[in-house]
Amino acid sequence: MSRKRIKEINEEEHELEMTPMIDVTFLLLIFFMCTLKFKTLEGKLSAFLPKDVGVNQTDAEPIEKVEILLEVIKEGKRMHPFKPGEPWNEVPGTRFIYDNSRVVEYSIGPRTTRDLGVLQERLHQLHRADKDRPATIDAREGVVYEDVVEVLDAAMNAEFDEVTFVGSYE
Amino acid sequence: MKLAKNDPRTEMEMNMTPMIDVVFLLIIFFMIITDMTQKELEDLKLPEAENAAPDEPDPDEFRPIINIKIDGTIWVKRQLYYNPEEDDQYQKLRAWLSDVAKRMKKEPYMGMQLPDEPLLIRADMNTPFKYIQKVMEQCGYQDIQIWKVQLAAAETEKDNDE
Repeated sequence: MSRKRIKEINEEEHELEMTPMIDVTFLLLIFFMCTLKFKTLEGKLSAFLPKDVGVNQTDAEPIEKVEILLEVIKEGKRMHPFKPGEPWNEVPGTRFIYDNSRVVEYSIGPRTTRDLGVLQERLHQLHRADKDRPATIDAREGVVYEDVVEVLDAAMNAEFDEVTFVGSYE
Repeated sequence: MKLAKNDPRTEMEMNMTPMIDVVFLLIIFFMIITDMTQKELEDLKLPEAENAAPDEPDPDEFRPIINIKIDGTIWVKRQLYYNPEEDDQYQKLRAWLSDVAKRMKKEPYMGMQLPDEPLLIRADMNTPFKYIQKVMEQCGYQDIQIWKVQLAAAETEKDNDE
C-alpha cells in the first residue's frame, strides 16, 4: 500500500517536470529565431579608390591600365518594381526598375560593346595577356549602381585583382 | 519555528529553473535591444553578382557602412547624412568619414599613413552612380583618404549565367 503511494507520487512529479522544459525550449526557439533574423544574405565586392590624391610624386613608372568606360546610350523606361509591366508611379524617393530597352555601352580603348558577355570575354583576353594589369572603371552620366556592379563582377570573373574607380562627372 | 539558514534541507529546496528562465529572457532582451541600435543596413534592393564574397560581420569589429537610397539620400546607422534636396556639400558625411578614418588601422604608403580598412557601400540597384562617385570623392579628402571600398551585392548561384 505505502509502496504504491510512493510510486504514484513519483509519476506525478515526472509529469510536472515538462513545464520548465517547454519553457526553456520555447526560449531557445525564440533566441535562435532572433539571431537568424539578423543574419543577412549579402555579399560584397572589393574595389579601390585612386590613392594618388593630394601631393603627387609620380616617380613610379605609370602602369598601363585596362580602362573600362561605361556610358548610357538609352536610359530605358522606369517600371514599377513589384507589378510587372506597369510603369513607375513617379513618386520621388520610391523604388523603380528599368525595362529591357535600357542600353549601356562598355568601352575598353577603341573597342565598344553593348553586351556584357563580350566585355567579359575581352577582359579575360586582356587579363591573360598581362596578369598584373589593373583595371579601372569610369562611369559616366546616367549609369546606375547595378551597371557598375555588373562590370565589377565581370572584371572579377576575369580574375582582375585590382579594380579602381576613376573619374567623376557633374 | 526554528529553521536554521544553514540547514541543508531548506537550501535544497531552491529551484533554479525560474531563475534560468529569467536570466535567459534578460539576455535575449538585451541582445535584441543592442541589435536594434546597431541596425546599419537599410532596406535596399541590391544588384546581383556572382563573385560577391559572403559577408559575415564580426559583431566586435568596427565596420563603417554607408547606405545610399535610390533618391541619393545617404544613411548611416539609421541617420540621414546627406540629402540631395538640401545640399550641404557633404559636410556632415565628410565629418563622419574623417572620424571613421581616424579609427581605422593605418598602413604607411609613400610617407603617408593611409587607413587600411574598407568602407562598405550599399546602394539600391538603380541608385544613380553619381551619388556613389560623390561619396568616393569625399573619401579622397586630405584628412580621410580611405582607399578601400566594398560594394554590397546580393549573391547568386554560380551555375546560372547572367
